Amino acid sequence: MKRDIPITQNMIDGYGRINGDNDIIHYDHDYALKRGFRGTLLHGPHMTAFAAELGARYYGAEWLKRGHIHTKWVGPCCPGDVFSVTLDESGTLEALSGGKVVLAGSATLNE
Amino acid sequence: MTRPSEIKPREGSVTGTTYKQYKEGQSLGPITFDITPEICDEYFDTLQADRSLYVLDGRQAASPTVLLPYMTVPIYQTYPPNQGIVMAELDMQWSAPLWADELTTIVATGKVLRKFEKRGRHFVQWEAIFCRSDGSELARLTNTFHIPE
Repeated sequence: MKRDIPITQNMIDGYGRINGDNDIIHYDHDYALKRGFRGTLLHGPHMTAFAAELGARYYGAEWLKRGHIHTKWVGPCCPGDVFSVTLDESGTLEALSGGKVVLAGSATLNE
Repeated sequence: MTRPSEIKPREGSVTGTTYKQYKEGQSLGPITFDITPEICDEYFDTLQADRSLYVLDGRQAASPTVLLPYMTVPIYQTYPPNQGIVMAELDMQWSAPLWADELTTIVATGKVLRKFEKRGRHFVQWEAIFCRSDGSELARLTNTFHIPE
């Protein structure tokens, strides 16, 4: 199964409001460019949370009682990208953004 | 209601922690905070979530990842963050639902597991455990991030 989510700075700002951080790499485009990125960065845990909803879809109620998610954030996702995340039958998660893998991991159930 | 910003030192508002200052084995917390229905609702919005996926026995549960905005509270309260921290990895598992229709008091504790250098970057790996106020465990996680220096 798959989710495609177009990313905007407004979405990053919205996560920032609830996350309560002030890490300018998420909000200051010029700073992000200086750090070598294409633009500001979607928060890593925000990516994980987008991916985790596939776990809820796939595993149903059991996901809420004994879910287990592992994610490595391996690349940037910036405003203007589409965050495209897939979960396969083995529990493997992968997300692409800007044509590159940005998240890899798994969503499974604990025993 | 406890918003993460009320209990999480913010980048730029405090002197950030250098790589040298992190100590392996350092215990973190305990820190107590409340997750409210308002927070659960706002969090659902940020995920563009389908709330119907989070109903258990007819009752609205929160997204289990609603703890993520609070994730760094234990470590940042002990080691205030500097600007430009980049998250690298997360392993999170939960063992009970967190309900979206009630206030849940959470007690978070943790420990710095290790710090290491890789490809010229300075990484810190740490763990956190989130329990209800009665001591029953809700979730635990291990997080790795790198610090610009």
